[in-house]
Amino acid sequence: MANVNKVELNLSRKIVNPFKTTRKSTTNPFKFNDFEGNTLDVAICADVFEGTKGVNKLKMISSSVIGSVTKIRKSITEPIVNFANRVKDVITGAWDYAKNTNVEIAGLKNISESIHNAGKGISESISGIRQSIYDSMPPLLHKDIADIGRDILASCSSLISIHNHEKISSAMPVESLEALWKKEISLMAEQETKKIALSSDKSMKAQVA
Amino acid sequence: MNKNIAEIIDALGAHEDISSIGVLEELGTNSPDNEIREYTSRALVRKNIHDSLKVVIINQGKGINDLSPSVAMSTINEILSLKDKSEVIKILDDTINMHSDETVKENARSVKSLLALS
Repeated sequence: MANVNKVELNLSRKIVNPFKTTRKSTTNPFKFNDFEGNTLDVAICADVFEGTKGVNKLKMISSSVIGSVTKIRKSITEPIVNFANRVKDVITGAWDYAKNTNVEIAGLKNISESIHNAGKGISESISGIRQSIYDSMPPLLHKDIADIGRDILASCSSLISIHNHEKISSAMPVESLEALWKKEISLMAEQETKKIALSSDKSMKAQVA
Repeated sequence: MNKNIAEIIDALGAHEDISSIGVLEELGTNSPDNEIREYTSRALVRKNIHDSLKVVIINQGKGINDLSPSVAMSTINEILSLKDKSEVIKILDDTINMHSDETVKENARSVKSLLALS
């Protein structure tokens, strides 16, 4: 009972308000901020760099800014990751939905047609440029280009042959082997024709010279 | 000779399908290239079956009857190197006895003599 009375006594004691101000009739507006000696432990508005006159102030400010940024980054990293994951999930879900759903958009056909037409236009322009270049070149150069084209074709054919060569085995059906053989024969015939044409060209040039 | 063609001939020579003999005869033994004809004839001999051996023994201008001596000799060498010669001897005998062309008969007789000596 004595203890209870003690507690009651303590509770009934008037708690001192540290922010209590006393208004007096004065013309000084700053007088209202008089806390009667009950100042806060941390002086919020105080110049923290006041006592460090010998140190570069700018350097200290920058280091404090960097520290703050690091702190902020640490605090926001996790939510950003979560947010990014959520966005990714949403996009993936939307993509899956779009993939598995037949969507018909009225304007899409027109867009595809426009793209097709644009592509056609570009192709025609390129063809026109190529044709103009081709027309501006002397006929002898035409022949050289044709020869280069033929060489490229022959190289491609040989590459295809090499590719096919890897597949040739008795496991293949007879029809396929026959077709491959016939293809090889036709390639050889083409090469022979080319050789004959080249030799005849050379002999013609020699005669002209 | 073209490496691809050699591979094709080898594949057809090792093929179990009888129709491979027809392809070898049509494209190989009728080729204008001596090397291809030679390689094909040897592949046909290595098959060592009635239909393939018939092509190189009884046909004029093919196998042992080829106009190119190198092709004919290569075919004969391949025949001589066969382990089982029973089918070859049978066809040679039939050719010697029944073939209408005398040159083919003569060639078959020569090969049979070589087989007897080997």
